[in-house]
Amino acid sequence: MHIVVLAKVVPDYEVPSADFELVGNRAHPRYARMIGLYDENAVELGVQLKEKHAAGLTIVSYGLHEDVQFLRKAIAMGADKIVLVEGTSDDPYVIAANLKEAIDKQGEVDLVLAGRQSSDMDRGVVPGLLAGMLDYPFVPQACSVESVADGWKVAQITETGKRLMKLSGKGVLSITSVPENVPRIPAVKAIFAAKKKPVEKLPEIGARPMGVSEISVSIPKIESVCELIPAEDMDEAARTLFRRLKEERYL
Amino acid sequence: MERVPYWNISFGLLIDLLSIPAMAIFVYGLYRHWKRIKQGRSRIRLGIPVSALKIGPLYVRSFLANGIVGTRIYKKLFTGIAHGCLLWGMIILTIGTTLVFLNVLFGLPVFKGDFNRWFMGATLDAAGVAALVGVLFLLMRRVFPPERLTIFKSNSAFITIEVVIAVIIVTGFLVEGVRIAQTGPDPGSFVGNALALLLVNVALPEIHRYLWWIHGLIAISLIAYIPYSPLVHLVLAPINAGLDTPVPGPKMGVIDFEAFEGEGEEVPSLGLSRLADFQWKNLLDASTCLQCGRCHEVCPAAQTGKSLSPKGVMVTLSEYLEQGKMEDDSVLEAISTDAIYSCTTCAACMEACPVSVNQPNAILGMRQHLLMERSEIPDIMGQAHRSLEARHHPFIGTGFGPNDWRKGLEVPIFEKGKTEYLLWIGCSVAYEERTQKITRAMVHILKTAGVSFGILEENRCTGDPAKQMGNEFLFTEIAGQNIEEFNELGVSSVITMCPHCFNSFTRHYPLLGAKFAVIPHAVFIRDLIDKGAIRLSKGTETICYHDPCYLGRHNKVLSEPRQIVDAVGQLVEMPRSGNESFCCGGGGGNYWTEEEGTRINQTRALEALDTEADTIATACPFCMLMLTDGLKKHTEEQKVKDIAELVSSRMEV
Repeated sequence: MHIVVLAKVVPDYEVPSADFELVGNRAHPRYARMIGLYDENAVELGVQLKEKHAAGLTIVSYGLHEDVQFLRKAIAMGADKIVLVEGTSDDPYVIAANLKEAIDKQGEVDLVLAGRQSSDMDRGVVPGLLAGMLDYPFVPQACSVESVADGWKVAQITETGKRLMKLSGKGVLSITSVPENVPRIPAVKAIFAAKKKPVEKLPEIGARPMGVSEISVSIPKIESVCELIPAEDMDEAARTLFRRLKEERYL
Repeated sequence: MERVPYWNISFGLLIDLLSIPAMAIFVYGLYRHWKRIKQGRSRIRLGIPVSALKIGPLYVRSFLANGIVGTRIYKKLFTGIAHGCLLWGMIILTIGTTLVFLNVLFGLPVFKGDFNRWFMGATLDAAGVAALVGVLFLLMRRVFPPERLTIFKSNSAFITIEVVIAVIIVTGFLVEGVRIAQTGPDPGSFVGNALALLLVNVALPEIHRYLWWIHGLIAISLIAYIPYSPLVHLVLAPINAGLDTPVPGPKMGVIDFEAFEGEGEEVPSLGLSRLADFQWKNLLDASTCLQCGRCHEVCPAAQTGKSLSPKGVMVTLSEYLEQGKMEDDSVLEAISTDAIYSCTTCAACMEACPVSVNQPNAILGMRQHLLMERSEIPDIMGQAHRSLEARHHPFIGTGFGPNDWRKGLEVPIFEKGKTEYLLWIGCSVAYEERTQKITRAMVHILKTAGVSFGILEENRCTGDPAKQMGNEFLFTEIAGQNIEEFNELGVSSVITMCPHCFNSFTRHYPLLGAKFAVIPHAVFIRDLIDKGAIRLSKGTETICYHDPCYLGRHNKVLSEPRQIVDAVGQLVEMPRSGNESFCCGGGGGNYWTEEEGTRINQTRALEALDTEADTIATACPFCMLMLTDGLKKHTEEQKVKDIAELVSSRMEV
């Protein structure tokens, strides 16, 4: 069994909005870089599957050479190797095409896991596009997966609860965050070992971009208006606050 | 008439001869302890450089103060006095008995003149009375024990020993009384003379003979039994105290990870998971522990219903050691992950321990194993840890960037060769709205005083939370980066506002190559006041001061903050203060814990509130946040302030 996890290195996704600034329409380089939030959940799930089924686990990423140092965390968590396609495109179609090329080069792949959306662009379209290109079924918002005869049993988080599905053969799953896939903290020995694990670098392939171009990027301005609620006691304050929130349609 | 040793006794020298096998059994017992203890391996730690008077490995001051005089025993007055009476009484009696031997063997003239009257008579009798009173008090404590003596384990062997000691003392007095009744009064022997009056009609030589042999044989047997009983603390406690460096706190040292990067070097098991991994000092601690429970009584985790008990940890280690389970890694499960992570590293247990046991060192060592080998960490602490790893600060979900604290404030950046002091910001005073006021107050003070200071352009943590959570590796990485930047900038003097930063800079950074002086803001501000660089208007408000563990107990900065408080208002003390202060609950990474049961910060906040002081002062941003939060349960008033805020608001321009 061979599992591929897609992981993208992104700028710190927890930078407070008040501190956020752009350089060249992208996050300022002063922010720390790290594997995307949901991608880490996908890596954790991949490692759990690897441990359960003695599977091979490959991390495939599209990004910069400098990203390798951050991707090594996935190796320390339990992956076997990193495959990095070096490229700078933001176009989901180009990214998906490059990832497909890299996955094709890995031989037999039984399952592809990805974060439900990247933590920088939040589009969540690459896994779906990739599934189309690979001609695999795609299940978004998956939270758990287990191997069954001829396929996978997948749990999907929906707005109202959880849906269990059977996936025949191979597939692409985009993973959402649940307590069961909170990324583990790599053991120190694994961090040391990760330094010696192989990194395969692939050149970018030319791919047709989508017919969408970026016109501008802006940071929404957050305005805060402070209003004191006059009240005699906490009970009255809470009631007044609740009424006001409903009036203003926040609730 | 001069006293005749071995009066009425045939072959009395047999007692002297029996002392030889007794001593052999005694020495063999100690050797067994040594064999167990030396199995602990210490492979990867660097020591803390200490400049103190040493004889071999023994620190003279620790040995004398905590090992011989036993100063910490007396923190519990009645128990301390009883213990002192018993210990010193028995030592004096042993000296007296030895003098009798020397008189018999070499004719040492101890039964003549004033020496006989005042030492062999009065002093020995007084020592016997003191020892008897002491042992009876301690026996009653064991029969009607306080909770601390029974929790986890009640050491019932003490009851047997105390009864035996009482029998030895009573038979000794009876032997003396019967002898005096037969031979006439002894000068100075006030107990013997009094007993002789009572025994005059029953003082048969046969009774004397039997009592003499019973007394002698039990005493000899007790000596042989010492190393096989809790009484072994008579030997181990002074040694343990003497081996304890005079530096307060857990003394974790650092791990030299670079050693593992060498060719062919295998990374050994990190942290402590089996007794074989422990340092031999940890095993000596476990052997020395009397299970008195003083540590349990002061432990903030234990006292608020958490699963941790420092006594419980030592009891478990000691049982595994006694059973020879050196390679058994179930010891962590026996203690439990919850317990290991509940430790706030406040070191109150160490401060309370009468035999210098270093409980936090063992607990943190096990925590290191859980995190660095097994990746086990409580959820919220794990999130903080991940943030620290990725962002170099542990304040998950903060609404602030690293420079938000200085918005609208002119703060100089440290310039190489021009700036004198680096004002270290770190994480805790940058990422929380409440603590940002401490930093701004400190900048105000330094500017007003005309101090040449600057901050780093890129703010980050010391890595101390990683160390406290058990990730020595991450700490070493962060510390390495900080040291490199300090060296590039030529930083020689650093001012800290967080005691955790101060502790890390002074305790651990030097072991990683740092060479700079560090001053906690409490000391720096006090010095500014003393030099007249800032002038304060003293108010009438009452202020109680909460000692942060890492500033007070860990680093003994106790008087300076109080001097500051005294300069701005009226100092009020809490019942638990100074070295005996109670933790705010935030140490050891527990700032990022969802506490179960009673919350430590609420307990401490109530203590502060109960002083009825107008303001609660502290000198640690973590204490500030914890107490502010804890106070919300009891009052809506915002009463907690840092000493920098107090000073800043009271400065005369």
